[in-house]
Amino acid sequence: MSSPRHLVSSNPLRDPRDRRLPRVPGPCALVVFGVTGDLARKKLIPAVYDLANRGLLPPGFVLLGFARRDWGDGEFESIAHEAAKAGARTGWRDEVWQRIAAATKFLPGSFDDDQAFDRLAQMLKDLDATHGTGGNAAFYLSIPPAAFPTVLKQMERTGMADNEQTQSWRRVVVEKPFGHDLASAIELNSLVDHVFTADDVFRIDHYLGKETVQNLLALRFANEMFEPIWNSHHIDSVQITMAEDVGIGSRAGFYEGTGAARDVLQNHLLQLLALTAMDEPVTFDAAALRAEKIKVLEAVCLPKDLSAYAVRGQYDQGWLAGSRVKSYLAEENVKPGSTTETFAAVRLDVDTRRWAGVPFYLRTGKRLPRRVTEIGIVFKKAPHLPFARDDTSELGANQLVVRVQPDEGVTLRFGSKVPGTTMEVRDVAMDFLYGEAFTENSPEAYERLLLDVLLGDAALFPRNEEVEASWRIIDPIEELWRQQESQGGGPELYRAGEWGPRGADEMLARDGRAWRRP
Amino acid sequence: MTALWDTSGTAVIKALSAERRAAGSVSSGLALTLVAVVDEKLVTEAEQAATAAAAQHPCRLLVVVRRRPDAPEPRLDAEVSVGGRLGPGEAVVMRMYGRLALHAESVVLPLLAPDAPVVTWWFGEPPHLIAHDPLGVIADRRITDAAAAEDPAAAQRTRANDYAPGDTDLAWTRTTLWRSLCASAYDSLSGDPHGAKVTGEASNPSRALLAGWLERRLGVHVAVEDSEGPGVTGVELKIGDDTVTVARKDGRTATLSRTGQPDRAMPLPRRELGDLLAEELRRLDADEIYAESLETVTGLHGLSARAPKRTHVWQDPMDASDPDPALTTS
Repeated sequence: MSSPRHLVSSNPLRDPRDRRLPRVPGPCALVVFGVTGDLARKKLIPAVYDLANRGLLPPGFVLLGFARRDWGDGEFESIAHEAAKAGARTGWRDEVWQRIAAATKFLPGSFDDDQAFDRLAQMLKDLDATHGTGGNAAFYLSIPPAAFPTVLKQMERTGMADNEQTQSWRRVVVEKPFGHDLASAIELNSLVDHVFTADDVFRIDHYLGKETVQNLLALRFANEMFEPIWNSHHIDSVQITMAEDVGIGSRAGFYEGTGAARDVLQNHLLQLLALTAMDEPVTFDAAALRAEKIKVLEAVCLPKDLSAYAVRGQYDQGWLAGSRVKSYLAEENVKPGSTTETFAAVRLDVDTRRWAGVPFYLRTGKRLPRRVTEIGIVFKKAPHLPFARDDTSELGANQLVVRVQPDEGVTLRFGSKVPGTTMEVRDVAMDFLYGEAFTENSPEAYERLLLDVLLGDAALFPRNEEVEASWRIIDPIEELWRQQESQGGGPELYRAGEWGPRGADEMLARDGRAWRRP
Repeated sequence: MTALWDTSGTAVIKALSAERRAAGSVSSGLALTLVAVVDEKLVTEAEQAATAAAAQHPCRLLVVVRRRPDAPEPRLDAEVSVGGRLGPGEAVVMRMYGRLALHAESVVLPLLAPDAPVVTWWFGEPPHLIAHDPLGVIADRRITDAAAAEDPAAAQRTRANDYAPGDTDLAWTRTTLWRSLCASAYDSLSGDPHGAKVTGEASNPSRALLAGWLERRLGVHVAVEDSEGPGVTGVELKIGDDTVTVARKDGRTATLSRTGQPDRAMPLPRRELGDLLAEELRRLDADEIYAESLETVTGLHGLSARAPKRTHVWQDPMDASDPDPALTTS
């Protein structure tokens, strides 16, 4: 908490034993750049409404939109109203919106317009008097990465990013991509960490806001039964999958030249790997969690024969969920002969005592049969089976699967006797469905993350070191693919609606393993 | 759904497991059992509230309706449903007639989800002594509602006298949004508190608890003032040089005013029963803050130090001179 007025301990009405009282941030303004964009309309504004509806926004809260539109406060308010109503997760109550509407402001301007930023800086000062925001502000940059430097420099010029100069807290939220390789990430990080301070920069990886990902930490560290076997003595391999059934839609402009590895592998999958493989943090605060995640990311190493363990693919036309879908190359605005990958699978190893010899297989792709994200822990076979060989022929390896989405939950697969007179053992699954009855109550990831930004709780946000460590893993893979391309090799085609190219299956077959079907 | 007339507890257990199997999946996320002890005329309302709460917390819902304890023959009627009209979970509605009403636990005990916490909620008049009702004795957490009593102040005193850690009251749950707003308002202030005032309907037990809470936390005298309601209508805090008031006249929206600052409107609705119940199910340990506030309201001491487990005290409403109302309903 950077604001001295928000010290919880000084408020006699707050007591750690009083867990009915929600964590409500101090007064502040949320300034959204690029408020006309898709993300702002579909996620951000509904999340603001849902937070307000749950009573989690402070009395002195202002929503401030900034974009190049000729709008007044009223026009922005009506557009935000529509967006909130369409995307709200919780029930609609007009009085809740009335309250947000009364504190909704719009400032027209382009990013290179000095006057607009001067007006913004002044407005943030004035909001303290008119709305009691205490001068605090969080800037949400929902803008293309190319516009980052311009906006950040404007903030630096007007001093609006400076906690001391403004005598309040100022934070910034940035969305992925955090650069497109190590060099660009370092450049971006140093710029944003320089304009703000590193503690005030919040990089959103919405996967980390999901309840199940946080539940992974509870599963591992709040229980006695998992952690003792969470190592190479008992675990054979780990498979992390993030599959999407959709294609790239209209995002060719962004996706071309980015590809699956930069879009998903570098951030979501490596973060999931870090949370799966990390040691127990000393506490659950941001610094301790980060320390453990960085240790893992720095211990990740690529296989010696990288070309055999880094597979990329691109979807061809095919049938998916009963409809015919076109190939990547036939998508709108994709360059003819594009070699952008829509599927990536890699093997990574974690060079620590805990994980020696345990491969981590990561894969992600578009136009796969269904949308699913999961972490599969595959255990070793029992060292000795006192049954006749035929009895256990259908017994697979024990598995613990954490389903991140959909059907959030945990599945444990183990052998069980088939009813009958013979001793026959077969796999069964024991299921914990997190969403079974909790769904209505589990907040959308953006809601949680937005609240954490306003509270100044950075535990669920990757820091610059993590981003840079991730690029150190991805860069050699991209480098390899560029090399292959210069020798005429491109991504392997897979039919839309199948689980990726054959090369991905061969990669595991080479190690004597097979992908789980999620 | 299975309806059983003039049945036995064993048949109910069988019907429940048959329903579970038919529903396709064995419910695995079961976190608790909610036992609702309900007056016949309130059954529909109780079912709606419990269904709403169960949608947020995976629970097995057991609704117990005690009917005509003077009926000559004991009888049990039951309705068993899984994923039916009573929400996504498992639910059993039981009507118990005659002497069986005094031994409801004989049917309920085998229906409790294994090793999961039990919450008992009286919708209708709760027992004067929870120890009189075996369904309260087996519970880890017990929910009453002083606001539903004819004399809420007396009911509140009864609850304080009978208090054991794990007891809670919906009059307290209704203060959460007010307390949250007061705490947020306090966050942006500095200086020592030197006065406070709570306004509301004279008989409103939430007003008393809110004032008790403020008095306990701030260490200043809290004045209480009557208004037309509905419920609690205002709080005033004097902190340092500032005065902050929260006023709610329509039961929906509050106006927050602070010296030298423009007024702000905040949604502060009177919540539905299901919503209150859901908040109660979120936590399953004793609420010490409630105990402290109740102490301040009633002048009693050491509520949290009492033993959390009760021992059943047998009372036959047919013989007792002052029969406990929970055992004699409808």
